[in-house]
Amino acid sequence: MTLGYGLITGILFGILLQKAQVLRYDKQVGAMRFLDMTIFKFMLSSIIVSAIGIYLLKDLGLIKLSVKGTSIGAQLVGGSLFGIGWGLLGYCPGTAVGAVGEGRLDALWGILGMLCGAALYAEVYPFMKAKIITLGNYGKLTLQQALGISHWLVIVVFALIVLAMFYLFEKKNV
Amino acid sequence: MFKKTWNPYLAGALAGVLMILSVWISGKFFGTSTTFVRVAAVIEESIGIDTSTNVHFTEKKGKYGAGALPDWQLMFVFGVLLGAFISARSSDDFKIQAVPDMWRKRFGASPAKRGVVAFFGGVVALFGARLAGG
Repeated sequence: MTLGYGLITGILFGILLQKAQVLRYDKQVGAMRFLDMTIFKFMLSSIIVSAIGIYLLKDLGLIKLSVKGTSIGAQLVGGSLFGIGWGLLGYCPGTAVGAVGEGRLDALWGILGMLCGAALYAEVYPFMKAKIITLGNYGKLTLQQALGISHWLVIVVFALIVLAMFYLFEKKNV
Repeated sequence: MFKKTWNPYLAGALAGVLMILSVWISGKFFGTSTTFVRVAAVIEESIGIDTSTNVHFTEKKGKYGAGALPDWQLMFVFGVLLGAFISARSSDDFKIQAVPDMWRKRFGASPAKRGVVAFFGGVVALFGARLAGG
């Protein structure tokens, strides 16, 4: 059953990614160059809708959230490396897979590279765990906890910032 | 449905709804990076590398090891591939292309050059994603 849900969810998500044209090097690198913000329009719309829905489910007691740990060291170094790699590859892990489905063969090299990157990370993980993940480690932390405010306030402020960005995108026609 | 392009705001919002349903029904958030780790473990095992001594592949009850497959996320990743293919084929948007247009304009038409950079970009991107917890 779980496997079936995974497959169906993936197919639907793959269709949405393809229709929004985000499975393209030109769109991804276009966003990094501030030329075409399509992927940000897709991603930020998705984040706002799911944030509202998921926190609603949480408030109704229908789901439990398990938050990932915050480590400034891991997220600063990891995020920067991810950015460099993403810029070179032009696809993120999920979109690389979808891009192959669209016929973009360069993404296959990226997938091969990502498998090697995963194996490499597994090899050096003990070092990362001891030296990098411990830097600025705050454990399971959310913005609302850190600020001591309601998660709805965080969502509303975030949504307003995103709507201002959307307004700007449309005004600049990117 | 058969239009080549959907409004990215609408498609994104629908992806958000899909995520909500997924979290509600199966308790699963969207992700792909962890699958690369598990598949890497499977490949290592298949070429004779013993992963049972690797801390990363074995910690947290082997959550990141080969033994965790098949799982929800593997099927999700396979689904994304399939969904993109169905969508592209049904709207006549499927195109075999080894060098993206923007790349070609700046760096030329060599698929090898593009392949090498894509490969190393992939290595760095996934390493970074795993370190950052993605």
